[in-house]
Amino acid sequence: MIRDITIGQYLPGKSFLHKMDPRAKILWTLAYVIVIFLCKNFWSLGLMVVAAVGMLLLSRVPLRMMWKSLKPLVPILLFTGVLNLFYSKTGTVLWTWKFLTITDRGVYTGAFMVIRILSLVSVSALLTYTTTPTALTDGIERLLSPLKIFKIPVQSLAMMMTLALRFIPTLIEEIDRIMSAQKARGADLESGGFLKRAKALLPILIPLFVSAFRRAYDLAFAMECRCYQGGDGRTRMKQMKLGARDFVGLALLALLIAGVILLNRFFVPLL
Amino acid sequence: MIQLKNVSYTYENDEQNSPAVCDVTMDVRRGEFLAVLGHNGSGKSTLAKLFNAILIPTKGQVLVDGMDTADEDKVWEIRRKVGMVFQNPDNQIVATIVEDDVAFGPENLGVPPKEIRARVDEALKAVGMYAYRHQEPHKLSGGQKQRVAVAGIIAMRTDCIVFDESTAMIDPQGRREVMDTILRLNRELGITVVLITHFMEEAVQADRVIVMDSGRIAAAGKPETVFADEAFLERTGLELPPAAKLASMLRKSGVDLPKNILTPESCAQALLAAAQKAGVV
Amino acid sequence: MAVLELRNLTHCYGEKTANRVVAVNHVSLRIEPGELLGVIGHTGSGKSTLIQHFNGLLKPTAGEVLLDGENIHKDKQTLRASRFRVGLCFQYPEYQLFEETVRRDIAFGPTNMNLPPEEIEGRVVRAAQFVGLSDELLEKSPFDLSGGEKRRAAIAGVMAMEPEILVLDEPTAGLDPRGREKILQMIADYRRQTGSTVILVSHSMEDIARLATRALVMRHGEAVLCGTVDEVFSHGEELFSMGLDVPAVTKVFLALKQKGVPVRTDIYTNEQGQAEILRLLRREGRA
Repeated sequence: MIRDITIGQYLPGKSFLHKMDPRAKILWTLAYVIVIFLCKNFWSLGLMVVAAVGMLLLSRVPLRMMWKSLKPLVPILLFTGVLNLFYSKTGTVLWTWKFLTITDRGVYTGAFMVIRILSLVSVSALLTYTTTPTALTDGIERLLSPLKIFKIPVQSLAMMMTLALRFIPTLIEEIDRIMSAQKARGADLESGGFLKRAKALLPILIPLFVSAFRRAYDLAFAMECRCYQGGDGRTRMKQMKLGARDFVGLALLALLIAGVILLNRFFVPLL
Repeated sequence: MIQLKNVSYTYENDEQNSPAVCDVTMDVRRGEFLAVLGHNGSGKSTLAKLFNAILIPTKGQVLVDGMDTADEDKVWEIRRKVGMVFQNPDNQIVATIVEDDVAFGPENLGVPPKEIRARVDEALKAVGMYAYRHQEPHKLSGGQKQRVAVAGIIAMRTDCIVFDESTAMIDPQGRREVMDTILRLNRELGITVVLITHFMEEAVQADRVIVMDSGRIAAAGKPETVFADEAFLERTGLELPPAAKLASMLRKSGVDLPKNILTPESCAQALLAAAQKAGVV
Repeated sequence: MAVLELRNLTHCYGEKTANRVVAVNHVSLRIEPGELLGVIGHTGSGKSTLIQHFNGLLKPTAGEVLLDGENIHKDKQTLRASRFRVGLCFQYPEYQLFEETVRRDIAFGPTNMNLPPEEIEGRVVRAAQFVGLSDELLEKSPFDLSGGEKRRAAIAGVMAMEPEILVLDEPTAGLDPRGREKILQMIADYRRQTGSTVILVSHSMEDIARLATRALVMRHGEAVLCGTVDEVFSHGEELFSMGLDVPAVTKVFLALKQKGVPVRTDIYTNEQGQAEILRLLRREGRA
């Protein structure tokens, strides 16, 4: 059923990672994404993989679930891998056929890219697996709050994100309902060329927009009735506090960065 | 609590320029349960929106605890006193978790975090939704969503809640849940309730009833008095509550029944008395 | 012969996943031509899932749906034809309106049937008549109509397909007494004039009691009671204990019985209630 789709992909749990402050987790993931692009050889990349596996263990997210979020990436991984395999023209030639050549460097680059993407996606998936969408929005809001000095309406932006998260399931349900209603009137959504299909979408899009606008209008009233006047002067029920766990996590992050820099220096760069 | 003095309201985009609410003078008394009845387009929802400065009268004056709703400096103070629950439960919940939604109002008022926590728990308990505090709102039933919306209002410590057809879109079971909650808030917490509805069964539970027709007050008084005039109700596009209808039919065929029958319980009670008088039980 | 028949129909959502939900559980049902079947049940009792099988919008997990003895999932043509033979009108159907004018919106269904233009026009006019929409309203944008008019325009959109069976899910939900009355009257007229089979899903026992010839009570995905309206409502106490909203008159009689007054409890219309009370009071008078 379409309405069973959960947004984000939070997996309830009580692991180390679940209990970490969302801000610490967001920083961690962000740093990880940047650092993995700084890796210059298999040694530093290997350290990053170890870190990713460590996080996976700390999160207690089942491997099956990880596979589920990696599965859609398989075509991209294959494409990247194969492209890099044939792209490199330097190094020892291992195999040739007509215009195609595979060199040892090509194999290394291909593998490097694939491992890099895999770790990157796994770590980002872990963030969404262990953090509720609400906590994520709150975390982002608070991390960005210094930007208020530059008159950036951080709280309003966060409010918009929360509202979007709140209304996605409602709108999905609505699409489902409108589609069924139009199908019951013989709307054909499955056959025909591009133009015909695009036209067939109108009976769904128009009611959807009408309803979305009505909801937005109602919601604005409801928020005003609850004294919403924008971000200023608001307090929050849930306060965030960095705990021992978060400091340990951030310390490990510092170690990881230091490790990558060192390994990059000591060993020959691959690329 | 709320006073309306010769209030009229005309929607700007209305082509005929006919007022949706026309020269209404009334008051909502502190602690009472007031039901506002009327068919669709009778002006009852417009009236509701005038109570907490969502709409500002085009003529006349609305006073909430002496504050004029036209006074822009008082708007938030007024909305803190008079809360509102709307028709569509989906369109008034703002957060992705029940307790966060209830906290929304107090957060806007700048209440300290610890006190918000206390208020949220208290409000959720008052509407019987405490057990669902960590749930996602879109997984709740219509009645449950409306109760969360109610909790969101009482967490602001409002004195008065206006229910703008809040039961129209939910099923009978959900309607019962919401009605029970409304009655409890009124009786136990002393919250003033204004219920806008077209369900007669709900209106009979009120202390006072106002019937709206073409933007004007067509009748006001105790439910027993207002519902005694069947012909009048039909003229205003309403119908008798079902139990009252039965009693009225019986009276017409010569059974001696009192005039104040509105609910199935009171009807059964009166019939029992009639049966005893006739000596059949 | 039954015009529509369900044989052992079961429908599960999320089959092969951890949160598998059985929404309809082994329901068998025969719907005879020309009858008006009322379907009663709580939200979540499976009634909405059930009715979406009648025109093949949902495919049963197990069991069969037969239209005139033919399985509607036999092939693509049969399935598509079933959409038009069984007209399904969802709850709050006004949310499906999309065309520039009411006329064109009502014509959407017939147009999808690839009918000749004159035939489409004729059907639109007939459907508009049934629901009481004037020519003037037909030229308006559907978004400019009042709530009750929108509802009727949307129902006309389904009626214009001139289905053999018309299925209406909560057609009066959210309307005021006047709007409700109009819709109920419209359903009664439609049935009398066209002789079509109608299936009416409703929370309101009063409406079912007034219009239906037969009633089906759904609970937890199962058909718990099915029979003539009299048969079903004679289980007044049972319905009440299921938490269903029995008519207020029935409540009066259940309460009287509890107080020890010898009355019948299978009373569900005001007229029956009046007759029963008069019988009770006059019995002693005559003795």
